[in-house]
Amino acid sequence: MSTSPPVLAAEGVEKHFRLGRRDIPVLRGVDLQIHAGEKVALLGASGAGKSTLLHLLGLLDKPSGGRVLYDGAPVHDLPVAERARLRHQQVGFVFQFYHLIPELTALQNVLLARMMATSVLGYWGQRKQARAAAKALLEQVGLGDRLHHRPAELSGGERQRVAIARALLAEPKVVLADEPTGNLDSTTAKGVVDLMFSIQQERGLAFLLVTHDEGLAGRCDRVVRMRDGVVVA
Amino acid sequence: MYRLFLALRYLLTRPINLLSIGGITISVWALVVVVSVFSGYLHVVEQHVRTASADAAVIGLPPWAEWSRLSKVLRDDPNVAAAAPRLAHYGMLQRPGQRPPPAPLPGRGALIGGDQPFLSVIGIDPAAELETTGFAGWLVAPEVPPALRCADPAAPLAPRDGRPTVLIGLERMQREGLAPGDRVVLTTAALDTAPDGDKAPRKVQLELTVGGAFKTAHAGFDGNTVFVALDTLRHELYGERDDFVPEIAVRVRDERQLDATVERLERAVQAATERDSRGFGRVLTWRQKHELYLGNVAHQRGLLKIVLIVIMVVAAFLMLATLSMMVTEKTGDIGILAAMGGTPLGVTTVFLSCGLVITGVGIVLGLGSGTLTAVYLEEIRQGVRWATGVDLLKVDVYGLDRVPCYLEPVWMLEVAGMALLTGLVVSALPALRAAFHDPLVSLRGS
Ligand SMILES: Nc1ncnc2c1ncn2[C@@H]1O[C@H](COP(=O)(O)OP(=O)(O)OP(=O)(O)O)[C@@H](O)[C@H]1O
Ligand SMILES: [Mg+2]
Repeated sequence: MSTSPPVLAAEGVEKHFRLGRRDIPVLRGVDLQIHAGEKVALLGASGAGKSTLLHLLGLLDKPSGGRVLYDGAPVHDLPVAERARLRHQQVGFVFQFYHLIPELTALQNVLLARMMATSVLGYWGQRKQARAAAKALLEQVGLGDRLHHRPAELSGGERQRVAIARALLAEPKVVLADEPTGNLDSTTAKGVVDLMFSIQQERGLAFLLVTHDEGLAGRCDRVVRMRDGVVVA
Repeated sequence: MYRLFLALRYLLTRPINLLSIGGITISVWALVVVVSVFSGYLHVVEQHVRTASADAAVIGLPPWAEWSRLSKVLRDDPNVAAAAPRLAHYGMLQRPGQRPPPAPLPGRGALIGGDQPFLSVIGIDPAAELETTGFAGWLVAPEVPPALRCADPAAPLAPRDGRPTVLIGLERMQREGLAPGDRVVLTTAALDTAPDGDKAPRKVQLELTVGGAFKTAHAGFDGNTVFVALDTLRHELYGERDDFVPEIAVRVRDERQLDATVERLERAVQAATERDSRGFGRVLTWRQKHELYLGNVAHQRGLLKIVLIVIMVVAAFLMLATLSMMVTEKTGDIGILAAMGGTPLGVTTVFLSCGLVITGVGIVLGLGSGTLTAVYLEEIRQGVRWATGVDLLKVDVYGLDRVPCYLEPVWMLEVAGMALLTGLVVSALPALRAAFHDPLVSLRGS
C-alpha cells in the first residue's frame, strides 16, 4: 500500500483494570494498524476486550502499557484537553446504543458535534454553514424529512443514522464503530452498514468496525480477531 | 458553544427549573423591597433628627467647665461657625395646682414621645442658639398656628408677666390645651454637693409662663423637649456658678469635614478642661449623638436582612435539589460528550451554566420586580387598602404621608452578588459530581 504511516496504530497496547486488590488484565499487548481508506472488522467473543481497545484507540482512556499513534505520532500520553481535541478532529464514534441526547432534535444532535470545539461567537459566525453541512449529512443518511424530530420519535435504525451523521460532521479521518448494528434487525442493519460503507468509500475513511456478525466482517477489507486480550489473526 | 447550548436545552425541557428561578426571584425581590422600605424610613428619620440637631455637640463637661473659656477654644477652630451653650436636664410640667400625671407604662412613647410626663428640659441662650441651630425656624414653622407662636421670635425666652418663659413642642401644647401666657410649673431636682463631698437631691419648682410653641420635623424631639432660658435653669440648679456650661451645640462651616472637625474639637476641649492630666468632655456629631435612636431602625433593617437571606438559603436548597436531579438524569450524556471531544471541565461547565442561567434569570427578574414594587409601593399600598381595607404599612408612626422608599444601588449590587455566589456554590456541587463521572461508564451501559 502507501508508504505514509497508518492513520491509526496500536503498539503493544495493554490495559489492566483494578478491581479492589486484584489487577485484571484485559488487553495484553495488542498490535494493530489501520490505513486511510481501509475497512477493518474486529471480531471476538464477548469480554475479549474489543470495546476497551476501541476506547483506547479513540483516546477515551489511557493504556496501561504500549502506545497509540495517530499518523505515526504517539498520542496516548497527551494531556486531557489535547486528547479531547484530537478525538474531536480525528475520530468519529458510533455506538451500539446510539447515545443521542434526548432533549435535542436530530439536527441539533448532529450540530452538537460542530459546537464541541467552537466558542459561542465562533459558532455564531459559522452557524449557517454548520446547519447546511448538518442538513446535507442528514439528507445523505436519508433523514432529510426528520430533521426536527427528537430521538424518542425515531426508530432504532433512524437513530443510528443520526449517530452516523453526527460522527461525520467534524470530518474525522477515522470512524470507530462499536457494534453499530447490534441493536437492529437484519434488514435495518444491512441498510445502516451499506450507508456506512458507501460514506467510508466516498470519504476514504479509516474504518474500524467491532461486530459479532461474520457476514458483516466478511464485507470488510481485513478481519482482526481477538481472544483473551490479544490479536490472534 | 456546546456548553451553553446544552445548558439551555436541559433547562428549557425541564419546567421544574422554573421553581428554582422563582425561588431566586422571590428572595432577591424581598431583599430589595423590604430593605429599601427600611432604608427609606431610616433616611426620613435621619433627616428628622438632622433638622432638630446641631451639627455637633460637646457633652459630658466637668463641673469646672467655663463657657467663656470653651467658647473661645471652639471658635478658634477654623471650621466652627457658631457655638451655643446648653444645659440639658429633666423635669415634669404641669399647670399650677394640678397633680403631675402618673408615671408611664414602661416603653410607651419611647419612640414618638408626647404621652409621658418626663421631659427633656433644655436651657438655652436664645441669641447664641439662633446662630447655631435651626431654632429660629422651629419657632415660625408653618404648622404652628399664629395663636400659639411666640410674641417675639427674635427674643423667644424674654420673661413675661415677671416670670421666665418656656417653649413647648406644638403637639404637646395642643394636647394639653396650653396657649402663650398660660402659667405652668416645672418640677425637677438638683443634685447638691455638700462641702464634705456628700451629694443630696433637692426638689426644684419653677413657675413659668408659656412663651409659645416650636415645631421640628422630629416628632420624638418635639414631644419630649421644652426650652427655658439657660440662665434661669442654671441658677436654679447650680446657684452662683454663672459661667458653668455642661453642654455646647456647635455649627460647622463645612459639613463634609464634620468628622475631622469633631475629632479636633474633642482634643481641644479635653486640653482646655484638663485636670490631674486627664481631659474631660466628648464631642459628637449629630449622628453619633443620636446613634441609639438611628441605630434602632438600622438594627431592625439588619435583622430583617438576616431573616430575608434565609429565603435565599431555602431557594438555594431548592436549586440544589433540582440541579442534582438533573445531573443524575444526564450522566448518560457525559459519555457521548467525551466521545465527541468534550473534557471533564467542559462537562462541569454545562451544569455550572445551568445553575448560572437559573441564577442570572432569577436575579434579573428579582431586581426588576423589586425595583418596580419599591417605586410603586405607595400606589400598591393604596390599592390594597382600597380593595381589602388592610393597611400594609403604617406611615403615620413617623409622621409621613406616604411609604418612604430608598433604593440603594450598592445594596442591590450586594444582593445580586450574594445571589450569584449562592447560585455558583449550589451549582458547583452537582457540576463537580458530573465532572468526576467516568464517561466510559455511560458508554458501556445502555
Ligand atoms: N472499568 C472496568 N473495570 C473492570 N473491568 C472492566 C472494566 N471495563 C471493562 N472491564 C472488563 O474488561 C473485559 C473486556 O471488556 P470489553 O467491554 O472490552 O469487552 P468486549 O469485547 O467489548 O465485549 P462485548 O462483545 O460483550 O462488548 C470484560 O471482562 C470486562 O468485564
Ligand atoms: Mg463491547
